[in-house]
Amino acid sequence: MADDENEDQKEYRWETGYEKTWEAIKEDDDGLLDSAIAEIIQKAKRKRQVQKAKQNRLGMMRHLFVVIDCSESMSVPDLKPTRLLCTLKLLEIFIEEFFDQNPISQLGIIALKAKRAEKITELTGTARVHLKALEGLANVTLTSEPSLQNGLDMALKTLKVVPSHASREIVVIMGSLTTCDPVDINLTIDELVKEGIRCSVISLSAEIHVCRYLTQKTLGTYGAVLDDAHFRDQLLSQVDPPPAAKTQHNSLIRMGFPHSKDEVEGKDAPLSMCMCHVDNLDEPSELCTTGHHCPQCKSKYCELPVECQSCGLTLVSAPHLARSYHHLFPVPNYEELSMESVPQLSECDGIRKCYGCQKVLSAPHDKMVFKCSHCKQFYCIDCDIFIHETLHACVGCNTIPGVAGLIYQQQQQGGKTIAAETHDMLPSTSKQQRQFSM
Amino acid sequence: MDAVEQAATKEAESSIDLLVIVLDTNPSQQFVRQSPQNLTQVLESIIAFGNAHLMQKAQNQLAVISCSHHSTDFLYPVPGRQVELRQIDGQYEAFSLVEKTVKQQLGNILMNAPRLSSPCESLLAGSMTMALCYISRLQRNVAAGAKMHSRILVVTGSNECASQYMTFMNVFFTAQKLGIVVDTCALDKTLSLLQQGCDITNGQFLKVTQLDGLLQYLLWVFLPAPQMRHKLVLPPPPKVDYRASCFCHRELIDIGYVCSVCLSVFCKYSPICTTCHTIFKTPGPLPIKPKKKKKVEKQM
Ligand SMILES: [Zn+2]
Ligand SMILES: [Zn+2]
Ligand SMILES: [Zn+2]
Ligand SMILES: [Zn+2]
Ligand SMILES: [Zn+2]
Ligand SMILES: [Zn+2]
Repeated sequence: MADDENEDQKEYRWETGYEKTWEAIKEDDDGLLDSAIAEIIQKAKRKRQVQKAKQNRLGMMRHLFVVIDCSESMSVPDLKPTRLLCTLKLLEIFIEEFFDQNPISQLGIIALKAKRAEKITELTGTARVHLKALEGLANVTLTSEPSLQNGLDMALKTLKVVPSHASREIVVIMGSLTTCDPVDINLTIDELVKEGIRCSVISLSAEIHVCRYLTQKTLGTYGAVLDDAHFRDQLLSQVDPPPAAKTQHNSLIRMGFPHSKDEVEGKDAPLSMCMCHVDNLDEPSELCTTGHHCPQCKSKYCELPVECQSCGLTLVSAPHLARSYHHLFPVPNYEELSMESVPQLSECDGIRKCYGCQKVLSAPHDKMVFKCSHCKQFYCIDCDIFIHETLHACVGCNTIPGVAGLIYQQQQQGGKTIAAETHDMLPSTSKQQRQFSM
Repeated sequence: MDAVEQAATKEAESSIDLLVIVLDTNPSQQFVRQSPQNLTQVLESIIAFGNAHLMQKAQNQLAVISCSHHSTDFLYPVPGRQVELRQIDGQYEAFSLVEKTVKQQLGNILMNAPRLSSPCESLLAGSMTMALCYISRLQRNVAAGAKMHSRILVVTGSNECASQYMTFMNVFFTAQKLGIVVDTCALDKTLSLLQQGCDITNGQFLKVTQLDGLLQYLLWVFLPAPQMRHKLVLPPPPKVDYRASCFCHRELIDIGYVCSVCLSVFCKYSPICTTCHTIFKTPGPLPIKPKKKKKVEKQM
């Protein structure tokens, strides 16, 4: 049921989005194509923001394959300098952002070269490996046609054996309008559907029927890019974790958060050896006082995340996990209002100011202002964007006691304090509802 | 190597250094409850320190934000009131302006503050979000070619507030992304969250328990620009406590359960995730036995 809704929405989003796109561009008679596209991107962002607020079950442990078309069509210079080089440049940004926003996720790269698929990098959580591989792709010879099916099959083979609690995804970047496949591609698509692997396609040319069909069947997204800025936006929208797939087996995983305890004792940690380099002959383990200690068995490691070799506990750094929490608790969208609705400050000669950056609001630039429905504060457009895209915390909601902290405060509304909940292990559904009604 | 150093020094001389001080003015702080006089003393030190920052370079900028029990407000500069200085009196006037404005503003805030019936927490993480919005505006408006280095100095005698964990983390990651250094001067207890923030953003964390020496400490540790600090002998970085805060009780834990759907952290096993409402299929936690990597992965 929910899936049908989802599909309808996508269909709708794509079709109207496409039509509106061209309308908007035609309307702009000053020849300012860039500004029209910028507006489309801005609108798409807001739309995604609204959708984000509705989801609460996401696939946060992601295993994603990026499939890059490396056929002749990628040498077309409609994206500067060529489709391929533009793609690689944007992928660099994408990879950095992906690991920034998706801790304990993995990524792999597959290239579609002359009817074959080639795995450029295996699934791994280190950005460094992928960035290096991308450099190598810049000089690849672009010939012949790609085979979408071979690429999907290769990704499918690896993703099939990934732990079942992970979210499994494929993002295809297609330059070519055609695909040269060994057998009926529907067989592959059916398999992807069965496995619950979400496939999204970004087309650098025009709409390709089979790609759109693929994304519809696997609940992914489909987009054809207008220019490099639009491409960037489409690609970076894949940084956000997708809704959790039905096939995902969800589990609660026991993890350790290493930290040093010696601060309490007031003396330095003793010299010790790390476990990760014990068997490594190239870089042997060294005695030192730094490192991350497993809270269960005290084994030491140089880098996180890691699985403890002695006791099997998965060790992660807590702030690393925290980087992704804004996906779970997005700042609610602000209401767009005219400047006149901002109250004037009587003590400051009747000026109006932005609650965030303290800017004095003045006519042409600040014609529109943005109001948070929780803390009732007004923000300028720059702060609206900054708060929703970068900061992920509403200034008013976090500085005014009573609305402070949104989620925590809502837990307290029922007359319970946080401390009183200590023995309340299974919170009531109504409380959960409240947590997400924001 | 020398050329690199020289370039760095030159860059530091021409850049604009923006210092935003977030001052905890909550009357619940231990040192204020001991004697309200202490707050005046801290304020004097902050003003002197702010002026010392302005004195270092003509283009330097300063902002002071008060975080009290009921609101967060700018003490300096005050919006709307243009900082128009008569050039005749030169820089001296700028310094007395900081002092005058800060004291006047804080006076107004304390006068209008609701009475405090019981101690309450300072929403420091929130005040820092305001500081970031302000810095981000000033950085957007920097003239092409000019460079601005920004930092936030938090001065507080409050206790740790695990309830602000998420906001603190968002603040630290944003600061890190924008290259803003977070420094902290703790006046009472060691604050593990702010310590993490200093560590993440390459800032300095310092605990000063003697208010008498506060100005000296501020000048020694926090006056040098962060990009110059590696040359100085500063207190060694403390060991940072990177424990997680559980979603159920907001307590710092070192072993917990993580939901595979949303990465929420819980201190105890429970069959349902209270954040994303997922019902977990695996009946129990992973067996605590050494395993080959592949096998464990399959079991998860
Ligand atoms: Zn090691
Ligand atoms: Zn262990
Ligand atoms: Zn603003
Ligand atoms: Zn708000
Ligand atoms: Zn708990
Ligand atoms: Zn969950």
